[in-house]
Amino acid sequence: MHSLLADLELSWYPTLTELGWFAPELALVGTIVVILVAPLILGRSALRSARIAFVGALVTLLLACNLVGQVSTGGLSGLAPEAAAGMLILDKLTILVKVIIMLFLAGVTALWVLGSSAKEEFGEEFFVLMLGSALGMSLMTSTLNLLMIAVAIEAASLPSYSIVAFDKRNRKSAEAALKYVVFGGISAAIMLYGISLIYGMYHTLNVVAIGEGLARDLAAGTNTVLIGMSLFCVLGGIMFKIAAVPFHFWCPDVFEGAKIEVTTWLSVASKAAALVLLLRLVDAFGNGALAAGESILTYNGLAWGIGILAVISCTWGNFAAYRQNNVKRLLAFSSIAHAGYMMMLGAVFTLPGSSTSGKPMAALLLYLIMYAIMNLGAFTVAAIVSWQTKSEDVSAFSGLGRRAPWLAVPMVCCLASLVGLPPFGGFIAKYWLLLALGSKSAETTLGTLYWFLIIMAVVNTLISLFFYFRIIRAMFLSDDQQPEFRPPFFGTAMANLCAVLLVLFGVVMLNGPKDLAYRYASDLYMPARYLTKQVDSSDAALVATEPTPEVGVATAGGAR
Amino acid sequence: MLTYIVFLPLVGAAVCMFVPKQLVRGVALLTTVATFLLTLGLIGPFVGAGSADAAGLFDIFGSKYGEKMHFVQRADWIVGDNFTIEYFVGLDGLNMPLVVLTSFVSLLACLASWNFDSWKVNKGAKGYFALFLLLETGMLGTFVALDFFLFYIFWEIMLLPMYFLIGVWGGPRKEYAAIKFFLFTLAGSVLMLVGLVAMYFYSAEAVLQNPALATSYRPDVGVLTTGTFDLIELASNQAIQTYFNAENTYFLAEGIKFAPLMFMFLLIGFAVKLPSFPVHTWLPDAHVEAPTPISMILAGVLLKMGGYGFLRLCYPIFPSGGHAWAYFLAVIGVISILYGALCAMAQTDFKKLVAYSSVSHMGYVLLGVAVMTEAGVQGAMFQMIAHGISSPMCFFLVGVIYDRAHHREINRFGGLWLTMPKYGTMATIGFFASLGLPGMCGFIGELWVLLGVFAARETFDWAVPMAILAAAGVILTAGYILWLIQRVYLGPEKQEYAGYPEANGREMLILVPFAALCVLFGILPKQMLFDYTNGTLNLIVKTMATAPAKFGAMAGM
Repeated sequence: MHSLLADLELSWYPTLTELGWFAPELALVGTIVVILVAPLILGRSALRSARIAFVGALVTLLLACNLVGQVSTGGLSGLAPEAAAGMLILDKLTILVKVIIMLFLAGVTALWVLGSSAKEEFGEEFFVLMLGSALGMSLMTSTLNLLMIAVAIEAASLPSYSIVAFDKRNRKSAEAALKYVVFGGISAAIMLYGISLIYGMYHTLNVVAIGEGLARDLAAGTNTVLIGMSLFCVLGGIMFKIAAVPFHFWCPDVFEGAKIEVTTWLSVASKAAALVLLLRLVDAFGNGALAAGESILTYNGLAWGIGILAVISCTWGNFAAYRQNNVKRLLAFSSIAHAGYMMMLGAVFTLPGSSTSGKPMAALLLYLIMYAIMNLGAFTVAAIVSWQTKSEDVSAFSGLGRRAPWLAVPMVCCLASLVGLPPFGGFIAKYWLLLALGSKSAETTLGTLYWFLIIMAVVNTLISLFFYFRIIRAMFLSDDQQPEFRPPFFGTAMANLCAVLLVLFGVVMLNGPKDLAYRYASDLYMPARYLTKQVDSSDAALVATEPTPEVGVATAGGAR
Repeated sequence: MLTYIVFLPLVGAAVCMFVPKQLVRGVALLTTVATFLLTLGLIGPFVGAGSADAAGLFDIFGSKYGEKMHFVQRADWIVGDNFTIEYFVGLDGLNMPLVVLTSFVSLLACLASWNFDSWKVNKGAKGYFALFLLLETGMLGTFVALDFFLFYIFWEIMLLPMYFLIGVWGGPRKEYAAIKFFLFTLAGSVLMLVGLVAMYFYSAEAVLQNPALATSYRPDVGVLTTGTFDLIELASNQAIQTYFNAENTYFLAEGIKFAPLMFMFLLIGFAVKLPSFPVHTWLPDAHVEAPTPISMILAGVLLKMGGYGFLRLCYPIFPSGGHAWAYFLAVIGVISILYGALCAMAQTDFKKLVAYSSVSHMGYVLLGVAVMTEAGVQGAMFQMIAHGISSPMCFFLVGVIYDRAHHREINRFGGLWLTMPKYGTMATIGFFASLGLPGMCGFIGELWVLLGVFAARETFDWAVPMAILAAAGVILTAGYILWLIQRVYLGPEKQEYAGYPEANGREMLILVPFAALCVLFGILPKQMLFDYTNGTLNLIVKTMATAPAKFGAMAGM
């Protein structure tokens, strides 16, 4: 006797409030539509679409900031029925990552306006694809559902393939895009296979629930081979986006072949989204283990696996960068190495609710902020130099200290910061990364792994010195008497702004970015069921003794 | 006061960027003079420290390491969720002389840069003087910082200016020398970074395990409840000391003892700076390629950071590590002395010879602290200051003749004393001081170190043979320096150099203070230095002697 109306009422609709939670994504979609429609009315103009994209990015950013007040403990899950909770989530973390990505998008857009707007015919298409990949990345950071993860990664990847191939008269660009597509397609297939295996085992796509099941199985010692394989497949898909060894082969070619704006974009944004996703997964697995009443140490193997791959990534990236002559390739390997540093944090499990729960994630956020600034600065200078000299070799930088000191000095700051030298922001970021690794060394038997990671991270700092300083050496220590040139004002200003920020965040305003990262890395989304679990878990004692105000909010109800 | 001193050169550096080119060196000189005068004010509280009060205590230094720090300034800098990194500076007998030495050498090095316009690479005067002053800030900051994190920041801040000063304004192989310097120093300091992180977490664990002992040296803190970066706290808190130096505190894996390993991590960084064999190879390259004033800074101040680091970080915090590695360090020290001297003897490049003599001289510092006796540590400290005076002088002497001859081949010189009598006299004083002639500054340091090594014969049965070997180093030193003087300054006047002008007023202005100090330190060691430093040094030695655990060396040494 069900009427059609009753059936409709039973089924699920998003409410306006829920839609409001995802206003940033909707704004991105809206911007894409505007960019597509504008030429039909006003005629094609590359510069106009860049402006629209810039404004769209800022609007998205504002909308994201606007949501801060609405997020409560444990985050929110929206646009999905209760049964699929975690499909799309909103917590402080997603907001901050979206803000970072959007700021970076605005920066890259500005770079594009400086370098390519004059000669580019297909501005509309370019920005539709850019914003499309930005949408995919922001989705990647806001989900705990395996299916959504796969969709988001594809949404971020497909436009990326096309923007890499955008310079279609360039052979290298086409080759790079093909490599990217083939590699990306295979990774996606492998990832989906892993997801299907996991779904077959646990009949759920919710990552926390899966973590619960995994912990039980691992503790009991059943299905270990299957689990290992499926986890490798799933994480492999994410590591493809991170460009961690051994999923990095596309990275140098793509970075070299793509236009420098695209390289800048991919080097930070896609890695940022994937790294946040990886850490969120690890965090969710840890929560699942506690919910299952198992020790977090059941995930020992996963921690070692991620840690070892991270170490290999940064070591390999740093050594390979040494042999590169092309600045874009060099920075590609540098980005592999930095992804390795950040991935080390994936080996640290967080106990939910404890004051340290934010720590690895906070360290990651801080690192991402600094990394975005220093990479934007370095790529801006590299772009200006390559436009000026028509060469992307390290030798193009020779004598830059004399030819354009206002470019060379910020470049030194950015490169020294990439090495991780004080007094620049890169050092602070690396230092907090080390602290986050060390913070768990005393509590778990994974201490050996964490100290090993710390030592490898600092040893890699040393290795990386070589190749970053090749550029500095070219700029100041050698001079082939090329003419001086006047760099474009806005590009110079952007590079100098990045350098000033790095110095500020490295010496004077150390607390600001750190506190921001800490505040926004706490209270990650957890389904309600798991939020209550953590209080009566075996770690409740630990939760209660940790004296921080932030935790007070998170656990006050149960623990005190 | 300390804060003003540290950051005054930074202000000068900023001013350098914005004044016209002709004024830059004036600004730099003004800044270094002002800094030097300010640092002279730091000596004040230490005057009269040599006379003990009725109870036999040196009140100025307190009765315990770290109890009495002067000119202390502290403020919270980075506040984490359960730790605080402080801006914490202060002076005691250990760093006061080094701060004064730093500003003194910087001032004279700035004077030595006065003829910048006539250098081979004379572009970018603004950049040169700005980096020079930035370097001075880094050096002063490193000496006065008492928070490990702050110390590390200042330590690393010195790297970039030095890299550019050698790399841009250096000699023909400057690129190689600059990156080698950078690489060696960074290699040392990354391990220090591991130590920085590890010491924080282990100190947190220590106060957690043993709150009864965790009373802080600061009354306003009371009982310490969190980890700390405070170097004094790390060295004086009983809970931390007990835990750090315990037999069963492991790092990285079961069986690897914490104290010896951390001691080594820190020590490697300092040994590179010192520099001791086998990580000394950057030094000759850097010195040969660096411009004269930078060589002066490098030899006069940067090398002292190594010795200072031993005495501020390694020994007070990990005394048991010091016991574990004593033999190893003494051997390295003696090898540095002998090997450095032999290398110096084989050099034909004037500047390289002086550089290797630095390796040899700094070997005494390592040997002196390794035996952990009062005389040994006092001698090491004296040797650092003495070398900080004589070695920049020698480098400047080389620079003076290089400006005229444009080569540094020892064998092509000869009879310079006849050509330039004033310069020759100064050179003789400088090199004799370096040789360790009694009555000159070099003698006291070496003698004290040797006495200290003999004094340790009860504790270490290898002390006497070690002292004999080190004493042999004195003979080698005499050998290469006398031979050098003979080849360069004595003998018949050579036609080639006959027309060379005598040292001018500016050059004498640099040489005379150095020469005067060489002699003063030689004949009044107590009044010039020991009175100011010994109180603190003896307290550090006392700390070492009361190490909670004195376990044997790792790896059976």
